Amino acid sequence: MTVAAKNSAREHDSELLVAVAAGNRQALEELYLGYHRRLARFLSRFTPRYENVEEIINDTFLAVWQSAKDFRHASQVSTWIIGIAYRTALKSLRRQKHHTAAGSLDDYPEQTVDPTSETEVQDWLRHGLNQLPVEQRLTLELAYHMGHSLEEIAAITECPVGTVKARMFHAREKLRHYLPNLSGAAHDSPARSE
Amino acid sequence: MNSTNHGAAAGEHRAISALIPWYVNGSIGEQERQRVDAHLLGCAQCRDELALERRVYQGMNAETTVEYMPAASLKRLQARLDGIESAAPAAAAAPGSGKPGRRSLQWQGLMAASVAVMAVALSVLAADRWMHFHGAGSAQPEYHTVTNAAARAPDEVIRAVFSPAVTLVELQAILDEAGLRIISGPTEAGVYSLAATSRRPVNASLALLRANARVRFAESTQPGMRPGDSP
Repeated sequence: MTVAAKNSAREHDSELLVAVAAGNRQALEELYLGYHRRLARFLSRFTPRYENVEEIINDTFLAVWQSAKDFRHASQVSTWIIGIAYRTALKSLRRQKHHTAAGSLDDYPEQTVDPTSETEVQDWLRHGLNQLPVEQRLTLELAYHMGHSLEEIAAITECPVGTVKARMFHAREKLRHYLPNLSGAAHDSPARSE
Repeated sequence: MNSTNHGAAAGEHRAISALIPWYVNGSIGEQERQRVDAHLLGCAQCRDELALERRVYQGMNAETTVEYMPAASLKRLQARLDGIESAAPAAAAAPGSGKPGRRSLQWQGLMAASVAVMAVALSVLAADRWMHFHGAGSAQPEYHTVTNAAARAPDEVIRAVFSPAVTLVELQAILDEAGLRIISGPTEAGVYSLAATSRRPVNASLALLRANARVRFAESTQPGMRPGDSP
């Protein structure tokens, strides 16, 4: 997307949010349709069940509807909406973790894969990501899956830049521990240690 | 090199290492990108870290994702908002007149589609009942609404309902095995419209779906195939 197109999209989002703040349901629905795909893809990486993804998205837009009048337009609308989704997801994921002591690994049953294939790398990666604390995982996903900058992630998560860097540092350290052979020898067959 | 220089170099190394994820995702500023580039030339450790992070980045973006159609989810949000507004009529008394926005026509289309979705939901229920009584030799089913009530996409061959417990990975595996892909859905009734991804006969895809415990309902929408026809 060009800079001009990005600016135009930002302005349009901003106009829509002003309309939402005035109680315009059509504007809310347009925002919903504009963000649904991005949020669904992001959230489905944590919770594969669509009903959970939908619940988080709809809770997010319910909060958008109820809080739009409080938005001061000091930040981008996208950062604000994704920030609400982030906090809603965080609560939901903590609740899920509380209910399922084994974590979300149950959602990703072990698969028999060709140990020399990229699928094996992805299997290991998924396993490693599932071991990360929720805040570290979300930071990594916001950067690598959503493509957000350091400053955007700080705004979304309402944390100082230093905290974002620290979470990313620890996430990378842990992944390195879980994925010892990923960097230089992707086609080596790493032995599972569990 | 004195200890001050050594300390400064170590500090720069840590600072650059921390920036690598945003160097990888391309969101880093130009000035910082040049700083990272300069450091990478002389730092094998950071080059290794960069290689690892690139693999992680590629791995996290390589997985296939099922695309969801938002219409049914939006309807449920609308219902929640309606419930809130009817519970607080004072708040609902001042709806914004609002401008329709650039995509208002798209929205009007969505509303029309939502009406169609309801028709499909009802027709699927009718189909389910028809299938239930099919063995008892019931009369001509009223099932035809499955194919007629909602506009059928030209490439749609099957409509199916999956178990609510099905995961994305399982859903993708089921579709891959049957040579199908999602073209729309899920509707409010959980109905997916599916198109073929191979030249496999629709009957064969249908048989694979029906044999899978994760598939609650599957029916061809191909003209000429009677509802409930055994593949």
